[in-house]
Amino acid sequence: MAAISIRELTKVYATGVRALDGLDLEVLDGEFVVLVGPSGCGKTTALRMVAGLERITSGTVSFGDRVVNDVSPRHRDVAMVFQNYALYPHLSVYQNIGFALENKKIEKAERDRQIRIAAATLGLGDLLGRKPDQLSGGQRQRVAMGRAIVRSPSVFLMDEPLSNLDAKLRVQMRSEVLRVHRSIGAATLYVTHDQTEAMTMGDRVAVLQGGVLQQYDTPRALYDRPANVFVATFIGSPSMNLYEAGLSTDGTAGTTPTVVLGSQRLPLPPPVAARVAAYQGRKVIVGVRPEDLAVSGAGASGLGAPGVSAAGASWTGASAAGAPGLVADVRLVEVLGSEQHVYFSVDATPAASAPGAAAAADESAQEGILLGGAPNGVARLDPGSGVRPGGRVTFAVNPARLYFFDPDTGRAISLLSDWPLGLAGERRSKRAASCN
Amino acid sequence: MSAPAQARPARDESRSRPRHSAWVRRRDRAGLAFVSPFLVAFTLFMIVPLGYAIYDSLFTSRIIGGTVFSGFSNYTQILTSGMFWSGVIRVVIFGAIQIPVMLVIAFFFATAFDLGVAKFGTTFRTIFFIPFAVPVVVSALMWGFLFEPSYGPFVHLASLFGFHNVDFLSNTLMLPSIITIAIWEWTGYNSIILYTALKSVPRDIVEAAILDDTPLWKIIVKVKLPLVRPAIVLLIFLNTIGALQLFVEPLILNNYSAGVISLNWTPVLYIYNTSINDAQYNLGAAMAVVLGLVIVAISITSLLFRRSKGEFS
Amino acid sequence: MTASTLSTRPPDADPAQARPAESRRERRKREQLEERDAVIPVELYGLKRGTVTVLTACCVLFAIFTLVPIAWIIFNSTKTQANIFGTFGFWFARPFEFFHNFRMLFENVDDDGTYIDWFGNTALYAVLGGVGATALSAFAGYGFARFEFRGSKVLFYIVIGSLLVPIGAITLPLYLVYSKAHLINSIWGMILPSLVAPVGVYLMRTYIRLSVPRELLDAARLDGASEMRIFFRIALPLMVPGLMTVLLLSVVGVWNNYFLPLIIFSNNNLFPLTVGMGLWSQHATTSGDQNLYPLIVMGGLVTIAPLIILFLILQRYWRGGLLLGSIAN
Repeated sequence: MAAISIRELTKVYATGVRALDGLDLEVLDGEFVVLVGPSGCGKTTALRMVAGLERITSGTVSFGDRVVNDVSPRHRDVAMVFQNYALYPHLSVYQNIGFALENKKIEKAERDRQIRIAAATLGLGDLLGRKPDQLSGGQRQRVAMGRAIVRSPSVFLMDEPLSNLDAKLRVQMRSEVLRVHRSIGAATLYVTHDQTEAMTMGDRVAVLQGGVLQQYDTPRALYDRPANVFVATFIGSPSMNLYEAGLSTDGTAGTTPTVVLGSQRLPLPPPVAARVAAYQGRKVIVGVRPEDLAVSGAGASGLGAPGVSAAGASWTGASAAGAPGLVADVRLVEVLGSEQHVYFSVDATPAASAPGAAAAADESAQEGILLGGAPNGVARLDPGSGVRPGGRVTFAVNPARLYFFDPDTGRAISLLSDWPLGLAGERRSKRAASCN
Repeated sequence: MSAPAQARPARDESRSRPRHSAWVRRRDRAGLAFVSPFLVAFTLFMIVPLGYAIYDSLFTSRIIGGTVFSGFSNYTQILTSGMFWSGVIRVVIFGAIQIPVMLVIAFFFATAFDLGVAKFGTTFRTIFFIPFAVPVVVSALMWGFLFEPSYGPFVHLASLFGFHNVDFLSNTLMLPSIITIAIWEWTGYNSIILYTALKSVPRDIVEAAILDDTPLWKIIVKVKLPLVRPAIVLLIFLNTIGALQLFVEPLILNNYSAGVISLNWTPVLYIYNTSINDAQYNLGAAMAVVLGLVIVAISITSLLFRRSKGEFS
Repeated sequence: MTASTLSTRPPDADPAQARPAESRRERRKREQLEERDAVIPVELYGLKRGTVTVLTACCVLFAIFTLVPIAWIIFNSTKTQANIFGTFGFWFARPFEFFHNFRMLFENVDDDGTYIDWFGNTALYAVLGGVGATALSAFAGYGFARFEFRGSKVLFYIVIGSLLVPIGAITLPLYLVYSKAHLINSIWGMILPSLVAPVGVYLMRTYIRLSVPRELLDAARLDGASEMRIFFRIALPLMVPGLMTVLLLSVVGVWNNYFLPLIIFSNNNLFPLTVGMGLWSQHATTSGDQNLYPLIVMGGLVTIAPLIILFLILQRYWRGGLLLGSIAN
């Protein structure tokens, strides 16, 4: 029995704005599920409907086997951490945490005990006498969490709790939040716009855009098997390079299926070709992640997995026979120390990514001091790869790590058998079927 | 900073303050230019008369001998004057009753509108604000007609409830009647200000309280009320200043009910009568100064009182 | 940089302009719906049944209380003097004398002066004084809000502190000052002091701090614009809602002012409505046989009608704008 069941949840505002459209989601007991997407995608609306703070237009929310649509948020046994913390400014930390307990008419001694336990869990013991305006952002955030956990709720909701903190603090707090979650053990629904948070924290992640659920899967599956162009570019940073391409056979005698990318051709090994057989002779969108590009050349190796594709063919970064090469002009090199981001142009048309994905993608790809024309791709390479701006480079491309999408619908192209069954069970294979 | 601190001479401390660049200083002087038209008018029409009043208060004009410097003799006369202080006590009682009653009513309605628990909030708010558009003179005139002892409708109404021959403008009932008028005049204005203050309480704090299953009365008293305390303090302040200067209503009502309003019924009435009707400008000026000090004293104490009482734990 | 590089459009353009043209009713409906969505749904408060009805009833009662004097004045402006005292106060009576009473306002009754003159005076004082006060408050508020000159804080506190001074302490000596400056019975004696509105300065300063970002002004300065130009083309458009509120409060303040004109005017022709009505009220009791009462009632009605209509028209401004009054010092 799922702790939270969301079926066909829809929200239409009185002004006609459709904030959420038919969301289906399940959170199991003790699971940490992340709702992620760009602003305006409906994730906060969904969360607030689960809390009961927003009227439901249609669809149901159930806790266990109990439909809670008409249950007041007061009686849903739900605790929520708000984005701006929503602490009572005139009360001390102690009183803030204890406020809910007062309402339950718990007697003073017991209240005191529970407050102190919650405070200790979050390291707030020394701050109990202070008021919110005497606390730092991170401390306030912990008080907001303390206020929520002291109620021992069965459902825990969090609305972008880390987005008001600075970058370093955010990284620290990620593990804090997970630690608290594990100690409570309640089902948790966590909303964020940051895909890194989603990937590192979630047991499962639901990607939303424009009020519609794009994909609901484990982080690994979202990365390896994005259901559409939006998910592909939203997950992973810098985001996936996408180009318009065509599938045909190569010109020489022989019928090796080939990806035609601008003036270049990348032959595909049989297992990969089989995946996209249905699109032979048609246009597709092809994607390759920056970390899957390596430099052909003495000794340099890319950051992609130099390993085994699903079909078992091995591949190394060197210009091994059969590894397709992509010729590109280097426009800009960003040195990060542990790696380099190399911005390049290939003579292929970049695919217009799904609206919103551009916002999620790296902006630096479009800015910066450029030599020549604007870049249309980025690669993550070893620092010693010896690439220079203005030069020409040939990337080794692992065909097993190419992604293909339908140019009209943006959906991923694949075969049913290629999709292993995961936690969501049959629902995922249903979605896989709809992707063809 | 590479230069060691001790190398810097101590003389630097004595230099004049502005560390700003010339550009910033020039810019700030422009600010003075913007403020100056107002300041000129302010000085001419507030500071100068006030100074004149204080100056005048130190003199006495006699029929024989003209105007002569008398130091604080006007003040001693006032401080020992039962007539003056009885007026002060009367307006203090007036304020002590009128202000809390009015604020409670105003807060009640402001909360009802803010929470949306009464229908047609916008219409009602507009209606409640109408008295603000009515000059005090006209409102005193209207209420005078309504309260009029022989023919006024309220006298009829009272007899319907079994109270016969009620004289709303008699010695005993004059103050309560004026309190009613003041409540009529000012509740709408106060409730608009409280309403906007309540509206600025962040929504998520109230939502958090709801999730904590806080009953409505507690949300109002323990969550919203403390957060609008600044607005309440401001209103108490403004209302106190206004109440202590009660003038127009008794002056007009006197026309409906001769003899009830004495010359010193309120301090400002007394000042007015002394200065204009008796032409004793000096004494009147001194009274105005004393009244000013009383207002300052009472306003400040009411602020402090509110501050210590306002700690809801 | 030439002046043409300065944008006259405020940075956040009114979003209503970007929408397709909609009728006033459609816009009001949409605003109502948006407002309802912006508020916490009432059911979340856990109210007992019938609470809403009880509260609405309370509002109705207080609304009746508020409208009683207004209703009375409307009904009785149509009556003769005898009927005002003789008939039921809250309904009409024969003969219907509304227009007769109204015409009487145009005549000089009893040598006290003509109501119409008083009305014109009041309008003159209120408009000139109100507009002037708004202008001065806008300039001063801007100077206090966005500049830090020596003594600005102290000066501001003095200005606010002046609210504590009783009217008598300022107005009565003003009479003496005027008698030296030949300003007795001069319209300027009424208008000039009305230009001083400390509340207006306070409101404008608060509003400017909230709605005119410092960076915008600094950017314009870097572009080489003069301070005056910056004020008029950048700051002023952003201050408009605050200006409307201060304008409304100032006009109402001067319109309703009683004490100042009472002291400084002895010439009936210069009276504003407040003083004139006060005088009538006094004469009505002392020389009782003049048919003054209907005039007083009608006069009262005509006095309050313009302001009430002004309020209803400018509703948007006092509803949102009085927000400022709630911001703590």
